[in-house]
Amino acid sequence: MAPQTQRDRGVAGSSAAAQFVLFQLAGKSFAVELGEVEQIIDYRAPTKTPRRPPHVEGVIEHRGRYLALLNLRKRLGVAEPGPAHPAVLVITGAGPDPRVGLVVDQALRVLSLPADGILTPPPRVFGIRAEYIRGVANAGGRPLVWLDVSKLVTMGETIALLA
Amino acid sequence: MEGRTLVRRAVRGRVATPVVREQVLLFRVGEGLYGIGIRGLWEVLSPEGITSLPTPQYQICTALAYRGRRLPLVRLGELFGVSADTVPPNARVLLTQGRGKPLGLLVDEVLGVVDIDPQRIAPMPAMASMLSPALFRGLVGKEDRVIILVSEDGLGDMTEVARFSEA
Repeated sequence: MAPQTQRDRGVAGSSAAAQFVLFQLAGKSFAVELGEVEQIIDYRAPTKTPRRPPHVEGVIEHRGRYLALLNLRKRLGVAEPGPAHPAVLVITGAGPDPRVGLVVDQALRVLSLPADGILTPPPRVFGIRAEYIRGVANAGGRPLVWLDVSKLVTMGETIALLA
Repeated sequence: MEGRTLVRRAVRGRVATPVVREQVLLFRVGEGLYGIGIRGLWEVLSPEGITSLPTPQYQICTALAYRGRRLPLVRLGELFGVSADTVPPNARVLLTQGRGKPLGLLVDEVLGVVDIDPQRIAPMPAMASMLSPALFRGLVGKEDRVIILVSEDGLGDMTEVARFSEA
């Protein structure tokens, strides 16, 4: 019998189910691990901070603390403006701050996927390089991209998302 | 002792911790709302005669002629990346001290003085700015607004200011 590849086994290497927060951005489906999302809050206009990275909108107060708001459209290089009322995923444990707000078009739902249904990404998905992706899956017949938030929550370069 | 009694109040049999307030001068640079503790401020000047020296565009620190002295003047608009082509009509120079040395800060407009609770000052998130965190004391909320508090010592430590002082 041929040895099992990572693609055969799934990214996590087991069949245990993992939970994700599913969201939409520029008409495409993305996910981040549920454990990385502390809360989903309504967007509100941030206080603009000086010399911020292009994908950072500013800061908002959240439970007596301040969060930098990172616009995922801008981070992925989507030129078109997003919806008037986007959602903010409060992400923990990624980047230099304890929490960061990730602005997405719409938070959809919590999704449970068996680990063996999550595959190693090809070199690029929607134009996004694999280094920013932890896995891909099929969610109801549509491709779902599991993003690596720790790679996204940086001051770094814009990542190209293809239309 | 009487002064101290005035600020301590017994709450249900316990002595409450005195509430320490701090006064902060609010100012605007670009669209941003900023603040600086008034304790270190000694004067607010109109910007006439800021410098007679030619100042290259994008230069953050320039010269301030003040009562026969030549002091470093930090153009906060340039530092924060929101510099206007001309000095705004309501611009002011805040004279303060950075690391014990006189320092001028050019701001777009002075808005007033507010009381803040220093215990509520929270650090600026690292992701919020590409500038050194040392330039900011932190953030504090006041009536639905967020004030970005600048650090006089952090500004005084900037290489541009240190170089100027040595000149």
